[in-house]
Amino acid sequence: MKPRESISRRQFIKSASAAAIGTTLLLSGQETTAPAKGGKSRVVLVRDLKVLDENGRPQYAVVEEMLDSGIKALTDMPDPQSAWKTIIKPDDIVGIKNNRWPYLRTTAEVENALKKRIIEVGVKETNISVDDLGVLQNPVFQKATALINARPMRSHHWAGVGSLIKNYIMFIPEPISIHPDSCADLASIWNLPVVKGKTRLNVLVMFTPQFHSFGPHSFNPKYVWKYYGLMLGFDPVAVDAIGLRVIEAIRREYFAEERPLNPPAKHIAIADSKYHLGTADPEKIELVKIGYDKESFV
Amino acid sequence: MPENINEFYKLLPDSIAGWKKADSPAIYTPENLSTYIDGGAELYISYNFKNALSMKYLDSADNEINVDIFEMGSAPDAFGVFAHSRETLDDRFGQGSEYAAGLLTFWKGRYYISILAYPETEEKKDVVFKLGQTIAGGIGSEGALPPIIGLLPADNLLPETVRYFHHYIWLNSFYFVSNENVLNIGNDTPAALGKYRKGGATFFLLLVRYPDAPRAEAAARQFQKRLLDGAEDGMRPTKEGRWTGLRCRGDLVSVVFNAPDAPTVRAILDKIKT
Repeated sequence: MKPRESISRRQFIKSASAAAIGTTLLLSGQETTAPAKGGKSRVVLVRDLKVLDENGRPQYAVVEEMLDSGIKALTDMPDPQSAWKTIIKPDDIVGIKNNRWPYLRTTAEVENALKKRIIEVGVKETNISVDDLGVLQNPVFQKATALINARPMRSHHWAGVGSLIKNYIMFIPEPISIHPDSCADLASIWNLPVVKGKTRLNVLVMFTPQFHSFGPHSFNPKYVWKYYGLMLGFDPVAVDAIGLRVIEAIRREYFAEERPLNPPAKHIAIADSKYHLGTADPEKIELVKIGYDKESFV
Repeated sequence: MPENINEFYKLLPDSIAGWKKADSPAIYTPENLSTYIDGGAELYISYNFKNALSMKYLDSADNEINVDIFEMGSAPDAFGVFAHSRETLDDRFGQGSEYAAGLLTFWKGRYYISILAYPETEEKKDVVFKLGQTIAGGIGSEGALPPIIGLLPADNLLPETVRYFHHYIWLNSFYFVSNENVLNIGNDTPAALGKYRKGGATFFLLLVRYPDAPRAEAAARQFQKRLLDGAEDGMRPTKEGRWTGLRCRGDLVSVVFNAPDAPTVRAILDKIKT
């Protein structure tokens, strides 16, 4: 098989998967690319050292400031209220899809800051719900007209990373059915009527991403990295692609060598190439960085 | 030695240093393991997971120490799942163990054990170690290592990096090879992977044993065609100037990745005793 991918795609794949033995990467369908709406997909990375206290707990006021800065930069609006009005309407029914994994949650601080701004738009509190495992049974999610997707990124034993794309796995009745081939087809979930076209914002929580998995429950505090970041974007693939670059870079930094995620997080590239959910091509992503910029890795 | 996974519950003390054993353990099978391990079940299933016992110790403040005992398909499978993410060599528990920041894992016989106490304290660590010793002592006999890992040449091998698997997903453990099953690795093809370091260069050796020579030859041909541009001598440099080399001898396929030069590839391939 001859190489068919563009240089930029090859660079992304290499970044996502560390060293490769040559030009041939057998990622199905990678020769096609998903066009980004309006040119490049914008991803906003906001970092603030004050977001974690001395015990590593998120500080609500700082989280709110970070989200506000991020949504303003994402929408080019002057204040958070007007920014939120561009993505949520008062009559929307809003599901905030979080992640409740006990060792690394979306965090109540992020959920509450999101909820506060959505209420300010005029959405009734009874029309907002935060849920993870129960989304299919949750009346608000069943009627939702808008979804906010918010979760931390972490290494994952089978999908490479737990990503924004993967966070919708609970919208299918049998999540295990999407597991073959290391969850390659996770993006297919985004075409289901329950979620299709409803996602207004993706928030990748990168306060303390987990970069390596160890043991049956995958978590060990030794392998989380204080990154102090939040990433926001409308394109989940673009945000995941940037998050993945950060995880890979942290692994290089920590292990002092190339150490590919095992298995590779190929579902992100496939979300672009096969499902056209967004773009994973760094040349089609506009990264806007706000705040602390040391060791940002991107 | 416990005859089945349930007997580990009886083996463990009712209380230890103020921690009390919770009343009822949970048992998991391949069908419901994913309800317990969020996202990790496939790793175990890929090593022929049979069943698991999960139980807790609680202190007066309801802090938890979680004990998980996994019965795998064989001792090599227990080694494989243990070694999957091993970073160091430590033989304090069972046939190999690792402790980091509140989590002890080890393997013995066909069992893989995890004892988890987050956040870590010295007191909890002491309890974790005592429980580990009790469980390791209760498993009477040791198990055999996967024979194929014995074929990895010892010179310059970093022993803590030795991996064993029979699912293609784990092919990329140290070095990205492919997203596809380019060597037709499956349940009947035990594979070993090790990292080598020589003169500042790091390279990797993969061994795959097939049920017969024709299957080995077919896998080798496929790899040569798809990843070595059909190189007849089985050797090819990468864009970065590193070398990949493959050799098929009988039912064994050996592949070297990321070697600094062609002589290094040949030297390590020559050392493999089939």
